[in-house]
Amino acid sequence: MTLFPQFLLDSLLLGGLYCLMAVGLALAFGVTRIINFAHGEMIMLGAYGAYMFATYAGIDPLLSLPLVAVAVALVGYVIFKLTLERALDAPHINQILLLFGVGLIIQNLAALAFTGDERSVTTVYSLAAGSFLGVTVPYGRLIAFAVSISLTVGLLVWLRRSELGRAIQAVAQRADAARLVGINVTAMFMLSFMVSAALGAATGAVVSFLLTISPFMGFHMLVKGFAIVVLGGLGSIGGTLIAAFLLAFAETGVAYFVPEGGGWAEGVALVVLFIVLILRPRGILGHAVDD
Amino acid sequence: MPSMTSHRGARIALAVATSIGCLALPFFASAVVNDWIVSAASLTILAISWNLAANAGLISLGHSAFWGLGSYTAILAANKLGLPMAVSLLPAMLVGALAGGLLAVITGRLRGIFFAISTLALSEGLRVLAVMLPGLTGGGEGMYMNPKLRMGPEFVAALMVVGAVGAVWLSWVLARMPSHFAFRAMRANEAAAEMLGVHPVRFRVGVLALSGAMAAFAGGVRVWYGGFIDPGIAFDLHITILAQIAPILGGIHTLVGPVIGALLGVLLSEATRIWLGTKGFSLLVYGLALVLCILFLPNGVWGGIRDGLARRARRLRGKP
Repeated sequence: MTLFPQFLLDSLLLGGLYCLMAVGLALAFGVTRIINFAHGEMIMLGAYGAYMFATYAGIDPLLSLPLVAVAVALVGYVIFKLTLERALDAPHINQILLLFGVGLIIQNLAALAFTGDERSVTTVYSLAAGSFLGVTVPYGRLIAFAVSISLTVGLLVWLRRSELGRAIQAVAQRADAARLVGINVTAMFMLSFMVSAALGAATGAVVSFLLTISPFMGFHMLVKGFAIVVLGGLGSIGGTLIAAFLLAFAETGVAYFVPEGGGWAEGVALVVLFIVLILRPRGILGHAVDD
Repeated sequence: MPSMTSHRGARIALAVATSIGCLALPFFASAVVNDWIVSAASLTILAISWNLAANAGLISLGHSAFWGLGSYTAILAANKLGLPMAVSLLPAMLVGALAGGLLAVITGRLRGIFFAISTLALSEGLRVLAVMLPGLTGGGEGMYMNPKLRMGPEFVAALMVVGAVGAVWLSWVLARMPSHFAFRAMRANEAAAEMLGVHPVRFRVGVLALSGAMAAFAGGVRVWYGGFIDPGIAFDLHITILAQIAPILGGIHTLVGPVIGALLGVLLSEATRIWLGTKGFSLLVYGLALVLCILFLPNGVWGGIRDGLARRARRLRGKP
């Protein structure tokens, strides 16, 4: 009877990764009220960044992660300056389609640069595993979990304790009131967008040594990220973290206990997304959002 | 007013002549030109279908759901029931309409991004379903259409053209009906529209059923043209992207916009394919077109032309 403990461990490790994957999306949405449809591409860029460092310089993804995150934050800055800043007052749907277009551009530039082939980074810990009380512990996933949770906690502490973090939270609560107390709202939008891009890139760097990467991996991640963020409640970071673990447990549960579950697990996020949108669009902890 | 009637008569004659010309074209065209005709006509239908929903404030990010359902229904109707092409499209459109109506009912009053994300989930969910039900759909390996039933590509192309003309006509009729005010009201403010006597849920069911049936028709005809389907082709993100880029490029919420956008879309993709070679370029170009359009030409090419003409008219009248 090691199946059940194994299921718990696998779900927990996956949940940690999902936290990091979704928290960037939740942060950018919470502050700017814009869903970043190009977030999947930030993850993809992070994964390719780590892949490049590992392949051409022999640098481990965990070491290149900070560099990759900073580089992709700069990409986020460029995207914000060139596109989003001009559309801050446009209808939501224009902003979504705009970012969708940006994602399409990045995706296909990546396909031209790296070809559409699937790649992966192999490290010593990628496939290594230990055994603890009869449960198999995959080291790669354990490291991914530790990195993801540290970064997520780091983000929360930064938001709570630092001046900038508090300013960002003020904007997330009420942008016009934040403006009244002298916070540069557009700058906070930009900062949260960049931090969100960096978190996406960090997710990509972590994913690079666990899964295969391709220029089109982003969309898949984006949809899962949506499911988590919507389940948690758009704009609520706390809700997002709870939802990340819920989705991880649901997916792993389906994969373990349903016949042909590996294939059906792909659909869990979509079913969750659909049901939450219908029954409770504000999610676990979120507030109602108009349009 | 005799001049008015003759003007109208001339317009109808022009429309009829254009339709007959379009219909006859596939029978004289080469295989490549036939491909273009099918692409342009199917994209016209998709764009009008997407624009119809967008007119009511419903932005779809999963139009491939209807397209794919149409494709699967048509190929199953042919392979399992032996239905000929024209007949197989009836169940395809019915399934598309049902899916649209059902989506409208279960999404209730979801609007804006929430509706958009739910359509995206619907299309992805259907793709997973198609992969996981190989008994019905052939699974990930896909399914070929019974070759004995297939018709010549020129007939299929002609049928797609008929569909495109029908879609244009339908959107023209809808724009002439009082419902077009209801559309505008729904887009601006659903609660206010309800106060004015528009029944939002019934209205949404109608709009999405129609939109779904149109996209399913295009998907159904497309599978007769290609003769093969798999979950990746049926619920392709590419279809969703094309369905939204064409109306935005041409001019969202207008009558002519989706048609112009569809033609431009095919032109862009063919031009990039011919001159630059790689397939990746066409999506890159679409992405660029989408971004540039939303930033600099929010009313699309048609809106740009209209605004330009209006400015010129003002100048000619001597006003600033």
